[in-house]
Amino acid sequence: MSKTLKIILAINLIALAVLTFAYPHLMVGPGKLIAAHSKLETDCFACHAPFFGTANERCIACHKPEEIGKLTSLGQAISKPRSSTPFHQNLLKQDCLACHSDHAGVKRFRVEGRFDHALLQADARKQCQSCHKSPKDKLHQQISGNCSQCHRQDKWIPASFAHEKYFELDRDHNVQCVTCHIRNDYSRYTCYGCHEHTQDKIRREHIEEGIRDFENCVECHRNADEHDIRMPGREQKTGRREGRRDDD
Amino acid sequence: MTNTLWRNHILPFTLLVGLLAAATLLGDYLLHRFDLVWVGRYLGIPGTLLIIGSLLYSLRKRKMITAGNVKSWLSMHEIGTWLGSLMVLLHAGIHFNAILPWLATLAMGINVISGMVGKLLLARSREHVIGQREHYQLRGMAKEEIERAVFWDAVTLDAMSRWRKIHIPIFIAFAVLALGHIISIFLFWGWR
Repeated sequence: MSKTLKIILAINLIALAVLTFAYPHLMVGPGKLIAAHSKLETDCFACHAPFFGTANERCIACHKPEEIGKLTSLGQAISKPRSSTPFHQNLLKQDCLACHSDHAGVKRFRVEGRFDHALLQADARKQCQSCHKSPKDKLHQQISGNCSQCHRQDKWIPASFAHEKYFELDRDHNVQCVTCHIRNDYSRYTCYGCHEHTQDKIRREHIEEGIRDFENCVECHRNADEHDIRMPGREQKTGRREGRRDDD
Repeated sequence: MTNTLWRNHILPFTLLVGLLAAATLLGDYLLHRFDLVWVGRYLGIPGTLLIIGSLLYSLRKRKMITAGNVKSWLSMHEIGTWLGSLMVLLHAGIHFNAILPWLATLAMGINVISGMVGKLLLARSREHVIGQREHYQLRGMAKEEIERAVFWDAVTLDAMSRWRKIHIPIFIAFAVLALGHIISIFLFWGWR
């Protein structure tokens, strides 16, 4: 390699090194910071600890956990908080990067609003409605709490409702919800929604057996097996019949 | 003559460069398609190690190490740098953030093309000196010795010397830029 070439190469590389120290946000920073952090753009070590990445302590120096959701990092009251209830105070540990990131190039591949409920203290984890509003449909409006009965904490959908705990939906009962829950009102049900169970027929059969309180069908019948009857206060009838069930 | 030049040199060169570009685009698409972008982020490490490993050829050529056949080292250098470059290109992705890593990627790309030009020149030089084979045979040399003599004649040919004057500064620029990027990652990245 000729001397001239060596000098040209060295000058170029030194110029690049100078530019890197003068404009680190352009030379090595993976994209712009969020608007609120724009003043820190050229001060990498405001957030980064050399060789250890972004340290929680450096976030907490400005964002005090006891104030998050209540006050801004400048100490002003938050007029429109993002969540109805401050929850950073109820975290098991301070792990800022578990949910937050910065720099446009990094954020592009992070799911915004990603939140692991496992980071919450056990009591706070059960109080879904302190952060989440109940959906406005008829089903959810009548339920308060106990969301985990149907929903998981990592995903709202799919919801898994164990219908068989109330009534088993076998092949003869694989019907649309409205057949039993009129107008999708899940607080009520009726078994008279199909031809098989007419009101007259059901009354006659139960009167013959001396049963007068038969309006709440699922209290005794949790499936289509007429021999699997769970009458409160009486011994359970367990005899089973082969083949198709017959209610007649 | 023109057909031979096209078939033996320009076509393989174009195919190697085209294959690198196609493999990069396909790999990038698949990583995004299967939500494996994080894999691309870490491909920079094996890619860099492969490129560094392939530099052993330079040490062998300069006789700093003596083990192994120099032609095998050259093949390893070619394959190692091609695969390493592919991994680094996948690592870079098609995302423009910081300038320094992109300058390093650009320098690497120029380095790869320069390397392929060197491969093409070496093949041409080899053809040029292959005529001397008969001369060596007349001197009663063994086949293996003739191969070695032809290789060294080819790499020391004037065209190759001139090519090295370009290839090595390009490599130095790439190495320094890549080192700058690696140091900045160690300085700012949180390894977790």
